Amino acid sequence: MNFKLTLIPGLLLMAGANPRWVTAQTTDAQQRELEIERDYSCVVCHIDKRRAFRLGVHSDRGIHCEDCHGGDPRGFEVESAHRAVDYIGSPDKLQTVELCTDCHADPDQMRQYGLPAGELAEYRTSRHGMLLLDRGDLNAPTCTDCHDAHTILRPTDARSNVYPTNIAGTCATCHEDESLMAGYGLPTDQFDTYRSSAHGVALYEKHNFAAPTCVGCHGSHSALPPAVAQIANVCGQCHVRVREAFDVGPHGTAARAAKLSGCTACHSNHGTEVIPPDRIAETCTECHEAGSEAAGIGIEIEEKATRAAEELRSAAEAIDELVSAGRDVSDARLRYQSALTAFMQVSQTQHSLDLTALDDLRREVASISLDIRSSAEVAAEHRWEHRLILVPVWFLALSAGVLAWFKLRGSERSATAEGQ
Amino acid sequence: MRDSRKKPRFSWLTQLWEDIKASTDPGLLGIARFLGLIYGPIDRRLPIDQSLRKSLARRLPSYVGWRHALGGITYLLFIVLIVTGVLLSFYYRPSVQEAYPSIQYIVTDVPMGWLVRDLHVWSANLIVVALLAHMARVFFTGTYKPPRETNWLVGLLLLLVVLAFGATGYLLPWDQWAYWTVTEVLDVVSRIPILAIVADVLRGDVNVSGATLSRFFAVHVIILPWMALALLLFHFSLVRRHGIAPPTDGPPTAGDGVRFYPTHLLRSFIVGVLVLAVAISLAALFPRPTGDRADPFMLPEELVSTWIVVDVSLALIRYLGVWGFTIFTVLGLSMALLPLFDRRPERRLKRRPVILILGVVFFGGFLIAWLAGRQLRSLPPGTQLRPGSGIESVTEEPGPAAPPETEDAPQGDEGEGGP
Repeated sequence: MNFKLTLIPGLLLMAGANPRWVTAQTTDAQQRELEIERDYSCVVCHIDKRRAFRLGVHSDRGIHCEDCHGGDPRGFEVESAHRAVDYIGSPDKLQTVELCTDCHADPDQMRQYGLPAGELAEYRTSRHGMLLLDRGDLNAPTCTDCHDAHTILRPTDARSNVYPTNIAGTCATCHEDESLMAGYGLPTDQFDTYRSSAHGVALYEKHNFAAPTCVGCHGSHSALPPAVAQIANVCGQCHVRVREAFDVGPHGTAARAAKLSGCTACHSNHGTEVIPPDRIAETCTECHEAGSEAAGIGIEIEEKATRAAEELRSAAEAIDELVSAGRDVSDARLRYQSALTAFMQVSQTQHSLDLTALDDLRREVASISLDIRSSAEVAAEHRWEHRLILVPVWFLALSAGVLAWFKLRGSERSATAEGQ
Repeated sequence: MRDSRKKPRFSWLTQLWEDIKASTDPGLLGIARFLGLIYGPIDRRLPIDQSLRKSLARRLPSYVGWRHALGGITYLLFIVLIVTGVLLSFYYRPSVQEAYPSIQYIVTDVPMGWLVRDLHVWSANLIVVALLAHMARVFFTGTYKPPRETNWLVGLLLLLVVLAFGATGYLLPWDQWAYWTVTEVLDVVSRIPILAIVADVLRGDVNVSGATLSRFFAVHVIILPWMALALLLFHFSLVRRHGIAPPTDGPPTAGDGVRFYPTHLLRSFIVGVLVLAVAISLAALFPRPTGDRADPFMLPEELVSTWIVVDVSLALIRYLGVWGFTIFTVLGLSMALLPLFDRRPERRLKRRPVILILGVVFFGGFLIAWLAGRQLRSLPPGTQLRPGSGIESVTEEPGPAAPPETEDAPQGDEGEGGP
């Protein structure tokens, strides 16, 4: 017999005889799986549900079908399996909340996984929770509408419905449904508007996962539109410096008194529109009458912000010129960062309507920009001086060429004369 | 002349006087003999002066004219490249950390360093044009036919060596344009059988890195110069052996021909001086711009080509993919094997329609590819990395609520200011 053929099964047998390897082969979880395969009746019929369940996190936590659905998993016939006193079958939306919160509202159980136990309390305060729990409105979503019933995945799993790039789509499942939303008087264009917003572009195109999705502003389990007076606070969670400037200005006072819809008054809500410097005055006239004192302030802000943007742009172009000329731009880049910081402060400070502070910042941007541009101008002058070398080069080349030409002609004439 | 009657102790003075008198002979030989103060004693034992006179007195066929200066122009540009290359190597440092700053140092701090560098860059472009023009003359006049078929092959090898010179030198500035162009070309070449092995060896890493830079530098300054020297010597010796081909329209004219000196040498001098002036003018008027320092994790906004062959290569890659290189390689091979198939003595172009078509396709294709490549400044399609630097991003969208992306790529080494 071939020695190699006998060696392989031999090694396998040796591996099977090693107690350490036996232990490694059958962990507790695997042992349970083996038991389920042998003794568990639910999977005989609901094999598709089992496959879906095993993809989720709960399959690793010792949770079985009967924990949510009741029944007797040891009954291998439909009647016996479904006959148990606690058999639920498919839980309805209210039962789902109760079932999930049996564990998820229990701090003792959640502590071990580092999960919060306040989801139920939050859910009660949400519009969804109010509709379902208080009014019994079965159109409202329950836990499984967002997290799926069997394949419950971690929010960090890209396949999860609540993964950052998937959340807006999950919400849109209902909020894009015109017939469903008509009953509540809600628009259905939020998802499309969000996708083209500054936040949507940051998330979907620039892959910036710090950008907020629906839950960033509305909350997740406590989903509710913020009140008018709360809008600036919601935006200010991320845009901290802007909120500080906004609060000290007249718009902040109006927003706190609920007379102004905070940030959304200019930037809209789901659209989170970026207003370029050259459109500031135009935006002001949406509320303030053209020619009014307030509109005049808008024009002044626009002028300062536009000039700061132009100064910054010219500084960037000067750095490009310096790079192209082979100059060391590490210092210029650092100074550019200072100008950029000042420009960002212009963007923030304009929310306070403090024209003096704005002017100071604009001057700072202009000063740094001038400094960088002057370096670029020096480099450009050097380049121009390089061209002066062409004067002697062409003088020498043409002189030498002409002399050689005359010499050549003379040589050819003498050669012709010799030939004759 | 040595006078034996004079006292021996003043013999060295007599000899010096004789050498000075000899050096007053006007003309090229006189200037050469002026060096006799140094080599004079050797010259009296070796026939250097005699051989020089013999070379200069050589007569060329009467049909040798201005159009035969193309090979000389190529040779002159090759010499310029060697001289400027040696000067650049005094300051250039072939490492990832130092290559880019050393180029900055050369063009900003070294006296006339900008001229040396830009003359090197422009000569690398002009030599390709001169070489192709030289090759086109030889091709269309049928000069590659026996007995000059070996020299045609040697010339093609020289073309390959010049292209290899440019390709390996292109990475050395280590800026974004060089880095990503070489990356793109090597990726395409890696998909061609056999050439893939060469590409992998040259890359020396999974992507273009310091290992690639070292290899390119070594090939550029050590291997290729020796290959070029050997091929050039072989090329020139074959030219001397077989002579310059007669014109296609009839038998060579009778007569003694033209003198190498001064007639042909003066023609070459005039052409050479003008070519040098043109090269310096191009260097002064259109200096090679520098891109940002190479960054494997950041794509540039655009790829700016600074070598004519890169334009052609990118056009072939972008428009035809691997097939572009393959078609051009097949055309090039057919050029190399041409003397084996086209052995008829007929050299008139109108009697060689197939050759005419082949030549038009090759040279015309090169010209079209170059013009198309000049239009390409974009990044290769399908690139996945994040393009652009923070500076451009903020200037494009300077809105108040649009926080710019800052450039995270390390730039600290740029401040070292060169070697």
